Amino acid sequence: MTLRERYDAMTRAEQGVTLFVGGFGFLLVLALLTGTLTPTYTLYLAGLTGMYILLSFGLNAQWGYTGLINFSVAAFFGIGAYATALVTATNSPLSIPGGVVVGLVLAILASAVIAVAIAIPTLRLRSDYLAIASLGLAEVVRQIVLNQRDWTNGSGGLRGIPDVFAGWPVLGGLPERLPGLEFTEYAVGVPGLFQVRVLGFTLDTPFWTDLLNFVVVVVFVVAVYLLLRRVHRSPWGRVLRTIRSDEDLASALGKDTYGFKLQSFVLGSIVMALGGVFYAFLAAYVSPGDLEPINTFYVWIAVILGGSGSNRGAMFGGFVVVAIREGTRFASDILPSQLPVNIPVLVDVYGAIVSDFGSTRLLIVGLLIVLVMRLRPEGVLPPQRELVWPSALEERDE
Amino acid sequence: MSETLTTGANREKDDTVLEVEGLHKAFGGLVATDDASFAVERGSITALIGPNGAGKSTIFNLVSGFYEPDAGTVRVNGTDVTGMEPNEVATEGLIRTFQTPRKLEGMTVREAMLVGASDQPGESFLKLFTDPSGVEAAERANIEDAHEMLEQFEIGHLATQPATDLSGGQMKLVELARAMLAEPEILLLDEPVAGVNPTLANKLSDHIARLNEEGVTLCLIEHDMEFVMNLADPVIVLDRGSVLVEGPSEAVRNDQRVIDAYLGGDSA
Repeated sequence: MTLRERYDAMTRAEQGVTLFVGGFGFLLVLALLTGTLTPTYTLYLAGLTGMYILLSFGLNAQWGYTGLINFSVAAFFGIGAYATALVTATNSPLSIPGGVVVGLVLAILASAVIAVAIAIPTLRLRSDYLAIASLGLAEVVRQIVLNQRDWTNGSGGLRGIPDVFAGWPVLGGLPERLPGLEFTEYAVGVPGLFQVRVLGFTLDTPFWTDLLNFVVVVVFVVAVYLLLRRVHRSPWGRVLRTIRSDEDLASALGKDTYGFKLQSFVLGSIVMALGGVFYAFLAAYVSPGDLEPINTFYVWIAVILGGSGSNRGAMFGGFVVVAIREGTRFASDILPSQLPVNIPVLVDVYGAIVSDFGSTRLLIVGLLIVLVMRLRPEGVLPPQRELVWPSALEERDE
Repeated sequence: MSETLTTGANREKDDTVLEVEGLHKAFGGLVATDDASFAVERGSITALIGPNGAGKSTIFNLVSGFYEPDAGTVRVNGTDVTGMEPNEVATEGLIRTFQTPRKLEGMTVREAMLVGASDQPGESFLKLFTDPSGVEAAERANIEDAHEMLEQFEIGHLATQPATDLSGGQMKLVELARAMLAEPEILLLDEPVAGVNPTLANKLSDHIARLNEEGVTLCLIEHDMEFVMNLADPVIVLDRGSVLVEGPSEAVRNDQRVIDAYLGGDSA
């Protein structure tokens, strides 16, 4: 299929998202070439996006598929991050030997056990109870991490988390061994009109480290996406979607709704913990601040914005959330701190917005949610096609 | 089938699919079901009728496991299902429909139909990865069945429509068709023609009669006397949570106690 045919076969929502992502990618390349963004920082942002995508995948498997309201995304993320950090960090109070694999296994086990523990008493009740309990769980986990100093090093956090593959053959220490690549600066432009300097950076160890991280998160995201896509289109996923619309109907048709809800909750929690595992390596430092509830709500925004119940929507939502989070930081650097023109009220408003970008970010997020709810309550990219085990439909729909 | 009217339920049936005995349920001070006993014979269309508040819906919820009875037993095909979860009761072969089915958002009609099939290997998370070919084979067969069932209900053309685009009457047909995919021993229909226009109500009535001829046992509760009278035999009349009389529709219709109960008179 040519690109044109592919594009024509898409639904309007898909076309819109494709154009948006394409345009954004173009701007990114431009920013890279002109040095507005350094390659290392861009890779860090890409890694952060991958992490948010994993968290959104997890929440989507709970809320989007089954309608479970989980307000402890940050807690399961934190469990993943701390499980990894406790194993690998240089100042970990618990000296558990091992590397990425032990951290990964520990994260999966811990998140599954805690998910089951919170789900058993609440999933038989009305859905609001899980919401309340999970809100409490998030705070409990954060307080434990903050106060159990002899386990977690408290507010000091865990430092010195090595590269993902530290100690591995070939991959371990690879970033240090790779040569630095130097790109000479060029000046391009139309003589007399404008001129920009492009390239002129060196790719060295930090870049290779972030590149390796980026490859790891891409592998995580692709693997989780393929797994979720399969289960979402299966009879298993269909029961979850029935529960979301009408749980009584599902049980009247003989489905053990409690068991299905439990599976969906555990699956989502494990995927969130994977996001945490990756974050530990990306930031090389975890602290109780990472478990703040605001992170839970960013992920909720990503899922609602992208379209609840849609894996690709969750992906898009995670991308937008990082764009807002980091884009506002970026904007505060390049915008002048005072409005160049002196218009009485506007000067004050502008000053307030630029001087406190943390709050502006929340304002933007709030406005965005209001807009989406008003104009497109189903989200930007809800599921576009029938969700049926694909190979079972072959021959049938010709 | 019973020839004459009996006071209370007719318990002298040879081959019963559903047996309810001494069922009791109170919500606080309100007794909704008061020592209700009746039986549904295999191959029959049994109707439960009664004035508002007679306890029809409560009995349905008790029988299908959505409410837990304070006393009494429910047996499906001889198995005691009292106190079981709704899905366990369904697995025993008792499938129910709802008065106002909720629409399955984001599903096509055939997707909504596929939920009905029981024993799907694809409903096990592990089998999706360990036995994809088994999942595919079952799914293929179920899709085939779903299309066939929709054809039988004369709504085959709706198969790939979004389930949310259906009219109320079409929803009822889809619900009935979906319940049939679960291959029930007995099908409980909760007000199958509530809020449906007369033309479609007749159609539904025809389909119910057809299912019965194909050997399905049905038990339905209904407000609309006319609908029940032409379709069901026997008719069980409920009043204030217990069984008043049971008999063929003609006899029930003319019984003074039934008329009194419907007119709100004192039937004692």
